[in-house]
Amino acid sequence: MLKIILPTMMLMPLTWASKPNMIWINTTAYSLLISLISLTYLNQLSDNSQNFSMLFFTDSLSAPLLALTTWLLPLTLMASQFHLSKETLTRKKLYITMLILLQLFLIMTFSAMELILFYILFEATLMPTLVIITRWGNQTERLNAGLYFLFYTLVGSLPLLIALLHTQNNLGSLNFLMMQYWTQPLPNSWSSAFLWLACMMAFMVKMPLYGLHLWLPKAHVEAPIAGSMVLAAVLLKLGGYGMMRITTLLGPLTSSMAYPFMMLSLWGMIMTSSICLRQTDLKSLIAYSSVSHMALVIVAVLIQTPWSYMGATALMIAHGLTSSMLFCLANSNYERIHSRTMILARGLQTLLPLMAAWWLLASLTNLALPPTINLIGELFVVVATFSWSNTTIALTGTNIIITALYSLYMLITTQRGKYTDHVKSIKPSFTRENALMALHLLPLLLLSLNPKMILGPIY
Amino acid sequence: MSFPKYESSRLATQPATLDPAEYNVSPEARKAQAERLAIRSRLKREYLLHYNDPSRQGLIEDPALIRWTYARSANIYPNFRPTPKTSLLGALFGFGPLFFWFYVFKTDRDKKEKLIQEGKLDRTLSISY
Repeated sequence: MLKIILPTMMLMPLTWASKPNMIWINTTAYSLLISLISLTYLNQLSDNSQNFSMLFFTDSLSAPLLALTTWLLPLTLMASQFHLSKETLTRKKLYITMLILLQLFLIMTFSAMELILFYILFEATLMPTLVIITRWGNQTERLNAGLYFLFYTLVGSLPLLIALLHTQNNLGSLNFLMMQYWTQPLPNSWSSAFLWLACMMAFMVKMPLYGLHLWLPKAHVEAPIAGSMVLAAVLLKLGGYGMMRITTLLGPLTSSMAYPFMMLSLWGMIMTSSICLRQTDLKSLIAYSSVSHMALVIVAVLIQTPWSYMGATALMIAHGLTSSMLFCLANSNYERIHSRTMILARGLQTLLPLMAAWWLLASLTNLALPPTINLIGELFVVVATFSWSNTTIALTGTNIIITALYSLYMLITTQRGKYTDHVKSIKPSFTRENALMALHLLPLLLLSLNPKMILGPIY
Repeated sequence: MSFPKYESSRLATQPATLDPAEYNVSPEARKAQAERLAIRSRLKREYLLHYNDPSRQGLIEDPALIRWTYARSANIYPNFRPTPKTSLLGALFGFGPLFFWFYVFKTDRDKKEKLIQEGKLDRTLSISY
């Protein structure tokens, strides 16, 4: 694991010491190399974990997320080049340093072997993200967005700290390897209910759960492109990953305590998908679509069946790539017309046909078209919830339909029809942008050929 | 042959010169029409000036559109006031469905659990759970 962590840490001196015209090239190239190293972890040979030290390990659950995280850093760097081009050199280097710091914390979070280490790094990821959102966002609402983001997550995760410390007192160690053997079933009492709530609320806020999702549209919309990409693709998955890890401690209580959150997620899926149909702001639409997809993951993690865990893992990876790609596409629109309103940039297919192809593919993966991994994830989760209770198919089926509706609505509004008159003078697509979309889509399509590596430890 | 009198459809209005009500309009209404026409032509003139401006880069800012998107996205809560009606609507449509679905799923699952405990549910071929 040090072979990933140390190079990522050294990317920071690299940015500060590079010549001004080489900062982007150096960081993008070296971060791509680091991501190639992390791809080796995808070769999980058994259902045990690969333990590197007492602190770090990779599992078939954390390896795909790790690969996603490291893959995303070069992509975020490529996406940020344009909007930072007018900043001073120091600010550019600061921005890149924030991204690298965030990447470092994320890598360590996904490979942490101990829950307290995981918690510390989980909180640490908030700081670079907050700086990125509040300093480099575009509108004045970014301050409010940063506030919501920070305090929702902090308030949710403070009980988690207390719960983890209490559990460590009881069990002696929170190391993942030993947790599997030492956990006892939680007794049926009020204090276990509070323990369950304390453990889960942090991740519920992060995912986000429907009732606690207010920070997400604000943070995603106000963040600059790299912030949106990392938020949507990786930080949300921290919640899912944390939930899957911590439910090992929470015994048989989950089957009864999970009901309110299941209801919130199942109903919230439909609510947020429906809100997507009424959005005028493009980034806001993609943000609400993230809430909807993550609600499926919450449902999957709470019912705790083999198929649902496989679906949750696949859905997390698939959604990470798809959502990040959609934000990049929205950003390519924003850089040209400086407005996020969807109806202002219509009919782009006539003007930018290659970008229209990427829009089409991103929308198709967002609506879970077979044989992409999005479909595999969603299908596994839907089938598992059907076996949990037959009536859920009404809700999940409606959600799939509405997802298709708003994905196609977004596609048709931005691509089809007659272009708006003032859009004729936009810049053509840069090679950098096309490369960005291709690099997002390539793992997505390749994983459709071999999805077993993202199906998690249950496969 | 006498044809029935022409009636315009709801969405396709008659031109003003064919509408008999046009000829009996009061002077105040005429003044209002003239004011509206003045506003419209000023806006159209501004739009055309922006549209044909050779040094324009990018889109024409429409303050009405900006205000509309702001009102739709970022200005909702400052204009919200909790009244009995909004509280009732919020409780009904916000919490109501949650309790409804909780009731639905709890009864369904308890029924299934009872069948399983009695051994009556056939789960021999269930592999996708």
